[in-house]
Amino acid sequence: MPDILPRRRILLASATALPMLLATAGCRSSDMFAGPDPLAGRPPLAPDVVTLDAVIAAEENLISLYRTALDGSSPATAGRPALVALLTQHEQHLARLRAMLVQPPATAQASPRSSPRPSGPAGAATPGPVTIARLRAAEHASATRLVQRLATVEPALAQLFASIAASDATHVTALGG
Amino acid sequence: MAAITAAAALRAALAAEDAAIFGYGVAGAHLTGSRQDAAEQDWTTHNEARDALTAMIARLGAPPVAAQAFYQLPFRVHDATSAMALAAYLEDGVTRAYLGLVAVSDPRLRTFGALAMQGSAGRAVYWRGRTQAFPGLEASA
Repeated sequence: MPDILPRRRILLASATALPMLLATAGCRSSDMFAGPDPLAGRPPLAPDVVTLDAVIAAEENLISLYRTALDGSSPATAGRPALVALLTQHEQHLARLRAMLVQPPATAQASPRSSPRPSGPAGAATPGPVTIARLRAAEHASATRLVQRLATVEPALAQLFASIAASDATHVTALGG
Repeated sequence: MAAITAAAALRAALAAEDAAIFGYGVAGAHLTGSRQDAAEQDWTTHNEARDALTAMIARLGAPPVAAQAFYQLPFRVHDATSAMALAAYLEDGVTRAYLGLVAVSDPRLRTFGALAMQGSAGRAVYWRGRTQAFPGLEASA
């Protein structure tokens, strides 16, 4: 019994001490939360996310090239079944890359892409016919660029990039390279 | 998942190269003409890779993986078709092993592993006759 009274006194004393401490420190309790809101505005994207976003855009460009080559308006019509097979693999690449990028539904709709679509040396934005040579160059550029990105991403993403790069490299050979 | 060390990843790649060297010896005996020439070239490439990996492991101060006297093959090799299937299977194993190297923290080893994957994936396409979407990540077909 006698032990409780001192504890209650400590609790009561501390309850009255806090405003006194703040006062002696020259601030009020409301000032503790008066600084800038750390969550105000859109936080910057992690480097891996920025890189993945760029790789997804590059893959989309490659797919666009293949679709243009297959739509009959380009000279790259020879070996159509082979091109379809390569296009299918690029679509699989894109699906797997997108699966690595998880965005909350609200931000996915409201926020613009963090990086502009890169056109690349053989990007879909570049006009002109899509020849086999152009596809081959685009595949080679893709494989090269993916290997360059390996150093800066986390291991699982690096392995996916390396696998896709290996696939792209085999496409160069399949296209006669 | 525990981070893989460079030495462990290099040793795994070396083990895959040793298995490929053994397997190509079996496959080559059932091939003729240009296919046999290709098998011999690939066998030489794997020997060179084995030597390079052994040197890299030694520079890390780690003991190399000794090649086995015999490797259990995944299926019976009795003709050119099964020999080519074996060659593709071996290259898939090499690709998977180098994929492990891509996961280490050293960026130079990541690049080395990725480029080696391109080589083995390309050889697998030659033997299999078709490309794959995810070399090293797919099960050997």
